[in-house]
Amino acid sequence: MIIPILAAFAAGLLVILSRQVNGRLSMSTTPLISSFWNHFVGFAFLTVVGLVIGGLIPANITEMPWWIYTGGAIGVVFVAAGSWLITRIGAVNSTLLVIAGQMVFGVIFDLLRGAPVTIWAAALGVVLILAGMWLTQRQR
Amino acid sequence: MTSPPTQRTNPLHLLAAFASGGILTLAIFVNGEAGRFGGAMFSSWLAHGTGTVVAIIFLAAVWRGQRAASAEATAKIGKAPLWAYTGGLLGAVTVMLTSTSVNSPLALAGTLALGLAGQVVLSLAADFWGLLGLPKRKLDLRDAGAVILIAAGSLLIILFGLGAA
Repeated sequence: MIIPILAAFAAGLLVILSRQVNGRLSMSTTPLISSFWNHFVGFAFLTVVGLVIGGLIPANITEMPWWIYTGGAIGVVFVAAGSWLITRIGAVNSTLLVIAGQMVFGVIFDLLRGAPVTIWAAALGVVLILAGMWLTQRQR
Repeated sequence: MTSPPTQRTNPLHLLAAFASGGILTLAIFVNGEAGRFGGAMFSSWLAHGTGTVVAIIFLAAVWRGQRAASAEATAKIGKAPLWAYTGGLLGAVTVMLTSTSVNSPLALAGTLALGLAGQVVLSLAADFWGLLGLPKRKLDLRDAGAVILIAAGSLLIILFGLGAA
């Protein structure tokens, strides 16, 4: 059990490290160019890993709905936005507000598509998040 | 580079960060569906591949402006160190780690909750020390308050809010 716990925690560390590294690249280039390198390097690396391990492309690839291919486009905008933001509002504010948006829109999204949501916990969670967002928006 | 910003954070920046969290929700949903077809590795490979193509299309559309802005940034800040190009490696490894923990007793909720903890810890350290060439930011009690409120609200949603009671 210790290995999955470490893996999940390390994944969180890497999310921030990656945003920090992409942010540094965007300082010397632009957020969009930085986002291109992020995707290109990741793609090259995963292609190599996939070729070594094998079985990268599933047999049912033609059965996938067309919108499966939009995830990368959304990712390009998200990574560029992250680089743009971290150099302007810092790591903590970026992290907190991205998580806040992810959670609040996640609850709305699940409600819209009829996924099960426990209302009291989701509503209280959103209230706490909005209160925290209000705190980040303060006079120093 | 090391002087902390003293003025109020621009509300538009905060709104943009909040909105980017919203599009992250969409990306996670779409990539999750791709993962149901071909596994986490395939999903990440596909997202990085299509992302590369889309980034090239975007860049081609605005190349003159991007090239000028990039040249100006390099002239001001200097060339980026080689490690600044490794963001994609980190992202790819992240997928491998989360697909390990999602398929353990931690499941998705535990993975998200622990990942959130990791994100908060490292971003606090990053602002405090100004890690990896990014500006330092002074942290105060209100930052602590915001961290506690947003983390508590997120954990509540992750652990109790999603899925029926």
